[in-house]
Amino acid sequence: MAKEVYQNRIELLQGTLDLLILETLRWGAQHGYGISHAIRARSGEVLQVETGSLYPALHRLERQKWIASQWRLTEQNQRAKFYELTTAGKEQLVRDRSKWEAMVQAIAGVLGPVPEPEA
Amino acid sequence: MSVWQWLFRSEDRKSDLDAEIEAHLALAAADRRERGMGRDRAHAEAQREFGNVALVKDVTREAWGWVWLERLLQDAKYALRQIRRSPGFAAAVIGTLALGIAATAAMFTVVDGVLLSHLPYKHADRLVQIGEGQTVEGGDYLYVPYLDIEAWREQLHSFEAIAFDGGGFDGRNFLQGNGTAVQIGFTRISANLFSTLGVSPQLGPGLPNKPEGFAKTSDAQEVVLSDSAWRTVFGGDRNIVGKTVHINDEPYTVVGVMPRGFFFPDRSDDPQVWGPIVMGDKDQGHTGDSPGYGVIGRLKPGVTRASALAELKTVQAHVAMGYVDPEWRKHALQVNLRKYSGEQVRTDQRHALLALTAASSLLWLIACVNATNLLLARGSARQREIAMRGALGASRRRLMQQLTIEGLVLSISATVLGIGLAVGAISIFHRALKQVLPSPVPSWPSVTVLVALSGLTILSAVLSSAWPSWMAARLPIEPVLRQGGQQSGVSRAQHRLRGGLVIAEIAMSLALLASCGLLLRTIYALHHVPLGFRTDHIIVANLEIPTYRFAKTNATATIYQPLLERVQHLPGVDAAGLMTDVPLGHTFSMRLMLSQKSTKADQKSNAVVAEFKAASPSLQRVFGFPMFKGRYFNAQDTSSADPVVVVNRAFAHAFMPDEQDAGKIIGKDILQLSKDGPQKNKQARVIGVLGDFQQSAVGTPSRPEIQVSLPQITSDSGFYTVLEGIAMDLAVRTQRPPSEVIPELRAALKQASPELAGSNFTTMDQIVEDSYGSQMLAARLLEIFAGSALLLCVAGLYGLLAYVVSQRTREMGVRFALGAARGDVMGLVMRQAGVLVVAGVSLGLVLAFLSGKLVRNFLYGVSPHDGWTLATVAIVLMLAGALAAYLPALRAARVDPVEALRTE
Repeated sequence: MAKEVYQNRIELLQGTLDLLILETLRWGAQHGYGISHAIRARSGEVLQVETGSLYPALHRLERQKWIASQWRLTEQNQRAKFYELTTAGKEQLVRDRSKWEAMVQAIAGVLGPVPEPEA
Repeated sequence: MSVWQWLFRSEDRKSDLDAEIEAHLALAAADRRERGMGRDRAHAEAQREFGNVALVKDVTREAWGWVWLERLLQDAKYALRQIRRSPGFAAAVIGTLALGIAATAAMFTVVDGVLLSHLPYKHADRLVQIGEGQTVEGGDYLYVPYLDIEAWREQLHSFEAIAFDGGGFDGRNFLQGNGTAVQIGFTRISANLFSTLGVSPQLGPGLPNKPEGFAKTSDAQEVVLSDSAWRTVFGGDRNIVGKTVHINDEPYTVVGVMPRGFFFPDRSDDPQVWGPIVMGDKDQGHTGDSPGYGVIGRLKPGVTRASALAELKTVQAHVAMGYVDPEWRKHALQVNLRKYSGEQVRTDQRHALLALTAASSLLWLIACVNATNLLLARGSARQREIAMRGALGASRRRLMQQLTIEGLVLSISATVLGIGLAVGAISIFHRALKQVLPSPVPSWPSVTVLVALSGLTILSAVLSSAWPSWMAARLPIEPVLRQGGQQSGVSRAQHRLRGGLVIAEIAMSLALLASCGLLLRTIYALHHVPLGFRTDHIIVANLEIPTYRFAKTNATATIYQPLLERVQHLPGVDAAGLMTDVPLGHTFSMRLMLSQKSTKADQKSNAVVAEFKAASPSLQRVFGFPMFKGRYFNAQDTSSADPVVVVNRAFAHAFMPDEQDAGKIIGKDILQLSKDGPQKNKQARVIGVLGDFQQSAVGTPSRPEIQVSLPQITSDSGFYTVLEGIAMDLAVRTQRPPSEVIPELRAALKQASPELAGSNFTTMDQIVEDSYGSQMLAARLLEIFAGSALLLCVAGLYGLLAYVVSQRTREMGVRFALGAARGDVMGLVMRQAGVLVVAGVSLGLVLAFLSGKLVRNFLYGVSPHDGWTLATVAIVLMLAGALAAYLPALRAARVDPVEALRTE
């Protein structure tokens, strides 16, 4: 099945979803819906995480023992599966972050300063 | 985690994921309702935003990484269902393959254990055995005197080290400890033997080994124990080193324990002790009197055996000059070197094992061919089903995977069953194998054997089950479906392939049957060889002699004579005699080399190697040896009478090569029995010549033999220990059944000396039977192999024809409709079978003719290309083929034309 195309939204760079999930969980335990909501909100509605990417990523991260899950009640008394960072996950986040920053710098270096729009 | 736990957890996880997604949807809907959306709308929006639930579940599960396993399980379940649906087919394939694997695994296990297993020494490929003298049949160890070894050690540059062992017999040895005495092997070795083999003791320093001292530095009363001696006698006492133990009533100090699995010189796990060789004055001479040792050398890295032998020959040319006696010099010059194998497998046994392995491999091949045939037939029968599933959207890869797994399930079940059968077969034949082979046979197939065999079998089964599916998957779906399964055409090529397979099967089976027939004829011929003595109604006891105790007394007078008296007076005993080793007994062998100066002018001397045995005069009445000339021993040949010997014709001819009449040897003095006592310096005179009789194996020519009279060998004689102190067989002729007499004999033995009570009893007929050894075993195994092959062959032919008939039902119907008689149709099928059988048999005759070479060595009294055998086997196969074809032919003849034409 073809993936849906979201207009006005940026496709996530390969591999950055893990970083975003880990970063989101740094602020506390959260369930799948909450994570996608938070990413969308904090990116100013630009980054939309598809469920078809989110859940495989969550399960993969859990298998790598970077996050752990637990069934809990939300504030609205709804049962949901909450994910939280493990110690290994925190370390991984630091590594991913510095890698990302190095990458941003490198790309910025290649692209150079933003050229003046031609008058 | 077990599979079941894993399966349950996987189920748990699935419902967990369902719940998680439901929660997501609920949260999203709740969010929307909070923003004032209607209940239904909120729900629909949440659904829409989420996307394809099933797909998300699928991709998430893939993140678990187990989907492929799930599919595999699915396919395995499917395969099992298929097997349940056609149990006959599954049983045929599994049975066939299991049979092939069982035979081959069992044979390879024996070969692996006996011929191929490596020696527990470091870089065993660089170890060689060096001997002097002409190598005889079976490659006996050839003993070398110390002076020669010393010279080699100093002068040869090809060797890293040279060590030696043994030499003279010590008789039976008993290790005493904890109130019991255990019979042990006691091998005398040079102090550097263990380091030459590259093995250090697991406990203690071992025998002191100073390079300059070579072999002379050790204390004669120091011993190293084998792991099993240490465990069985001393319970694995870790403080054993330095303690005093008793062997044959003499004290020894333990200086080491060898590691588990180490053996020398025999490949056995029996308790063993090693002590240093004690050099005597005789070791300083180059005569026939000098003790000989077995020599083991370690080649330097990179030195080949050929170059080492060349160097050895050069050096030996000088060393041999030290021999004064020209006969011994000639003997010493024949120096030889061969790879140290540490095995006592005779050449004929090696050939027997290899030939049997070839036979079992052939059976395995036949089994694989048969299974392939069955799977091919089934594959073409299922063509329509496969095409249908392809039409319903199954990918080709998936289809092939499924069929491959079916092949896997079948062949793996067959492998497991086959290994079970192999283990069973080995345990059944264990006794027979022990009789024939010198080294223990492992009771469990080795991992290498199993992996190789099951790998090949599974591969063949998988290939033959995947191939039809691959072919089917390539076919355009539509025509196959339209044609209808039963009548769908199977390609000519496949037909021809299957016919070819059946022909190959028949040919290979014929070769096996022919070999089996030849061996059965051999056994028959062997049973009719005149033995030269009587075997009926004789009970034989192989006495367990405590050598160290008998050495102190004159056992001849104090034990053997009274024992004979007592046994002879038992009720129902006609005669009783004693002999060092009864003919064909194989428990002990002593050979004597007699060197004599020729009386002729050319000064050519002549050496005779002869079997040497002591026998009581009464033995003649037990065995009834026919005399060629002269007389056997009688009651007057006592220790006070003149020493006498009896020889056989073969000895007479070897001793007097130029003399036609063997009887002329009577009256000649040939050897000196004793240097002390009443017979001091008297030469023993030949008083009789025995007709030739079978000594060590039925069907082999007689070897020279000398017998001395038991009462004339007293403890003064140098031959006393060898002839009476190690081995002695008691032979009793009685009309009463053995089960009655044996307890009485045992009581008599116990009375003579308590240790003798444990002696082994058997009958002479059994000894003769056992002496057929390798031929008998080979014949029995081949009977099984050939019988199985015949069965498989019949099954294969039947399977093919039955399939062909079912494929051609419609054609038969048309034939009948057009007026063909039943006989014509039957003839049609039989003709088809006839072509296959005749082709198979002709090819098989060629194969049998070629394989005649392989079995030639075991045949006796029959030619490897015996026409009768080949003809019989060919007829048996043709009859079996006709039988296999008859049922399908009958079915073809009974086809109802109306039914057949309506099937479409």
